[in-house]
Amino acid sequence: MMQTVRRMELKADQLYKQKIIRGFCHLCDGQEACCVGMEAGINPTDHLITAYRAHGFTFTRGLSVREILAELTGRRGGCAKGKGGSMHMYAKNFYGGNGIVGAQVPLGAGIALACKYNGKDEVCLTLYGDGAANQGQIFEAYNMAALWKLPCIFICENNRYGMGTSVERAAASTDYYKRGDFIPGMRVDGMDVLCVREATKFAAAHCRAGKGPILMELQTYRYHGHSMSDPGVSYRTREEIQEVRSKSDPIMLLKDRMVNSNLASVEELKEIDVEVRKEIEDAAQFATADPEPPLEELGYHIYSNEPPFEVRGANQWIKFKSIS
Amino acid sequence: MAAVTASAGRLWRLRAARAEGPWRGLCGAGLLRGFLQPASAGGEAAPRRQVAHFTFQPDPESQEHGQTQKMNLFQAITSALDNSLAKDPTAVIFGEDVAFGGVFRCTVGLRDKYGKDRVFNTPLCEQGIVGFGIGIAVTGATAIAEIQFADYIFPAFDQIVNEAAKYRYRSGDLFNCGSLTIRSPWGCVGHGALYHSQSPEAFFAHCPGIKVVIPRSPFQAKGLLLSCIEDKNPCIFFEPKILYRAAVEQVPVEPYNIPLSQAEVIQEGSDVTLVAWGTQVHVIREVASMAQEKLGVSCEIIDLRTILPWDVDTVCKSVIKTGRLLISHEAPLTGGFASEISSTVQEECFLNLEAPISRVCGYDTPFPHIFEPFYIPDKWKCYDALRKMINY
Repeated sequence: MMQTVRRMELKADQLYKQKIIRGFCHLCDGQEACCVGMEAGINPTDHLITAYRAHGFTFTRGLSVREILAELTGRRGGCAKGKGGSMHMYAKNFYGGNGIVGAQVPLGAGIALACKYNGKDEVCLTLYGDGAANQGQIFEAYNMAALWKLPCIFICENNRYGMGTSVERAAASTDYYKRGDFIPGMRVDGMDVLCVREATKFAAAHCRAGKGPILMELQTYRYHGHSMSDPGVSYRTREEIQEVRSKSDPIMLLKDRMVNSNLASVEELKEIDVEVRKEIEDAAQFATADPEPPLEELGYHIYSNEPPFEVRGANQWIKFKSIS
Repeated sequence: MAAVTASAGRLWRLRAARAEGPWRGLCGAGLLRGFLQPASAGGEAAPRRQVAHFTFQPDPESQEHGQTQKMNLFQAITSALDNSLAKDPTAVIFGEDVAFGGVFRCTVGLRDKYGKDRVFNTPLCEQGIVGFGIGIAVTGATAIAEIQFADYIFPAFDQIVNEAAKYRYRSGDLFNCGSLTIRSPWGCVGHGALYHSQSPEAFFAHCPGIKVVIPRSPFQAKGLLLSCIEDKNPCIFFEPKILYRAAVEQVPVEPYNIPLSQAEVIQEGSDVTLVAWGTQVHVIREVASMAQEKLGVSCEIIDLRTILPWDVDTVCKSVIKTGRLLISHEAPLTGGFASEISSTVQEECFLNLEAPISRVCGYDTPFPHIFEPFYIPDKWKCYDALRKMINY
């Protein structure tokens, strides 16, 4: 799975450079252990919400690479019908894909409330980054979650840089797992997928037992810059990126572990590699060839269940129908 | 539905006729590299896209303010900030990523020149940035806050509307935060999608106590920004991000002021008044020349410049002369600032109007990602509305 995410991100990078994908594209290669490990630690009926570095989570939450790449290229086959783009991808029990930094955390607390209310033993994983950890609304969400003992796992994906600002320059306390104050927190090695999985299982068990929210800080790293327009080397050295790539690459770590404990042979892993590459190629073909959504959809889905009304706009004589 | 497809079809043909390559029009050829490249971008072999929805038209060089230098919009902003920090020892600039120069390079070199206690970064917290700025301003120091994109100004909306705007009023003039200026990149850029393209001036126009200013060019930007900083009221200065590199003009090196709350009549005319601000001014300039050429219609173009408080007299005087008014902006139609201008003008100049006031604005949808070229009020939509107004 991690290999698929990695290949998918690299393909997206390639497509962006070919200008087939436009707009914004925030890649998460380097952080694959987080999404894959977390998914392994929870059930498909649990809920997850994150910010804009969401392609990996979209995949682990059940969407196919085809749908993701088609959404990136803005086509009909995309998961948000081409209207969302990179930052706005959604799937069942996956609430996106949110552009405004920090805004998804109170949403996550709300989803956790629904979980508690429905009584189905579900939890909500609410992710945010090291930059977002300094937003006020996060602390409001902590307070509400702790007060009402909501089954919410707050997860800070600390990749050491908030866009271009390193954590030391942005935060008075870089112990993000302690920021919850009255919420118990733990720090997890985000490059080791098994570590992430076990930590997530522990956290989920904590919440399901009704003990209230819990905080997890995943120490991870991203190889690409903040987004496609950021070369990623003006605020950190290439040596640092290389060092992380060679010493703590999540795919490499897992591969070594599996091969050394004779769980898989190098050839088997190579086979998986080849299969993944093929899948991604197919998906990219589809994404490039799929037609764009029709123009009428400009006005769709603004409101829900209203009788179709005409969307006013630039020209008094061209209106779009809003259908929901 | 048939009407919609017919008109959409016409739009398609028009686009195909004038665009080279795929129709996915990208506004602002200069912004291909995206915002966040601080240093030199490095060689990119991909061809530059030349299709934009407007052409920047520089104003003739001003003779009154001394020596001028060729600058684009972000350089003009840097120059204005440089002048302010030099003149006013209490001035400080802060915001996300301003220390290295800002994501649009508006503050390049200022930290080296004036020191890290005057130009500094804040963490990622808009509400905190503006609240903090209000605090600085209340003590009398000059605070120049940057909100990285106008789309992110909403966490700070409460601070601006409830704290900054009402400070002087509620304290009976004992306290004020007049030395606060908030700068923010604004408007569509071709690939911004929902959260990097918004034009929120209408939200702030509803709030007495603040001033909202939007320049159309580097020369205007520097003068207006310096006026905002010196103005004794909290000001919000929106900078059209698509013009940061696309707009190049001769701008005076020395500081100068352009008065606030004064609209500028850029071109005199007798048949119809066109009002816009920011990037849209360049769109309607083109519409005016199209109208002159194809319809023989003489257009009077007004750049509103200050949205709040806006220059009612200039606009009304113009409408009394021409009898027709077209207002255009990128923000959605319902509740956009054009509605305020339209209401006031019909109140003041009802008997002078020859045709209903036309508003050519964005659709009432969130700012779309892939549909942007169809969403924005480009010159064809404005021209069409103008034609219908003339033939009313």
